[in-house]
Amino acid sequence: MAVGRAQRRLNGALAIVVRTFGELLITVGIVILLFVVYTLYVTDLINEQKQGDANDTLERSWADPVAVQPAPPVTPELGTGFTRLYIPHFGTDYNFVVVEGVGQSQLAVGPGHYPGTALPGQPGNVGIAGHRIGTGAPFNDLDKLNSCDAVILETETDFFVYRVMPMAGQVAGWDRIRQQDPRCARVPSLRGPGEPGGGPYGRTVGRRIVTPDRVDAVAPVPYRPDDPLPKAEQVALVTLTTCNPEYGNSHRLIVHGVLVRQVPKQQAPDYQALLSRIGMTL
Amino acid sequence: MYGWIWRHLPGPFAVRVLAALILIAGVVALLMFAVFPWLEPKLPFNDVSV
Repeated sequence: MAVGRAQRRLNGALAIVVRTFGELLITVGIVILLFVVYTLYVTDLINEQKQGDANDTLERSWADPVAVQPAPPVTPELGTGFTRLYIPHFGTDYNFVVVEGVGQSQLAVGPGHYPGTALPGQPGNVGIAGHRIGTGAPFNDLDKLNSCDAVILETETDFFVYRVMPMAGQVAGWDRIRQQDPRCARVPSLRGPGEPGGGPYGRTVGRRIVTPDRVDAVAPVPYRPDDPLPKAEQVALVTLTTCNPEYGNSHRLIVHGVLVRQVPKQQAPDYQALLSRIGMTL
Repeated sequence: MYGWIWRHLPGPFAVRVLAALILIAGVVALLMFAVFPWLEPKLPFNDVSV
């Protein structure tokens, strides 16, 4: 009998150990699921709040009568929103306030403008980074942009319409593609005939996947850190960057667009007016 | 573990349920407002700039 009781007590202790271990495993599983919910949804809610605040501040600064005269472009302060980004291909309601800076606290507000790169409409390269996962995920579908899709930047005075450049496989036959698709009519391939390697913009195509050390992706002439052109001869480009693969950080996804049109707000007071003016419908 | 916590909650059944819910809410809030915001920036897909 004594042996039996000891045996039962041992079984009881074992049961407690096994049960506690099981409970811990279940707890860890629930915590991981909660973390997924946080990353994919809660960060979006936090971002929505911050975007809303940045949008209000931007609207107020644009409505300020002191600033009615188009001020000379000044470098925006770190963390302040200064332009609005629209990508019609991602839906007519797609718009984000772009803030200055690509640090984590700035990217938590919205897409971030690389400090020192061109401002909207200027010659050179407007570099903008954005999250692909969580935090509003402005660049979630960046890989789905095709050549000639519009990337629009709104400033206080103008809309600047950029279009995605020809993809690597389209460069050779671009003149033919350009004639077939009216959206591409104003999109140059930026390759001069007979220039070695396609000229200064020979490496600039619609979409590229590069290693994270390619800071020259946002150089005035992309992938040319040697800066081969004087400012006046630089083409006005926009460059969007995000992580690649979608949940990884081994590479960066880069999309290049070229400025095809500038529409002053006197001609198109809002986004809807702009879209009808450039032949896109809401 | 959970059984042990349940046995150590005071009061009648209804009070215990309420205390348990408050405990769960506290743990979730700690995760959502302290632990996850600290952990999330360390994830690889936050590296979006060159």
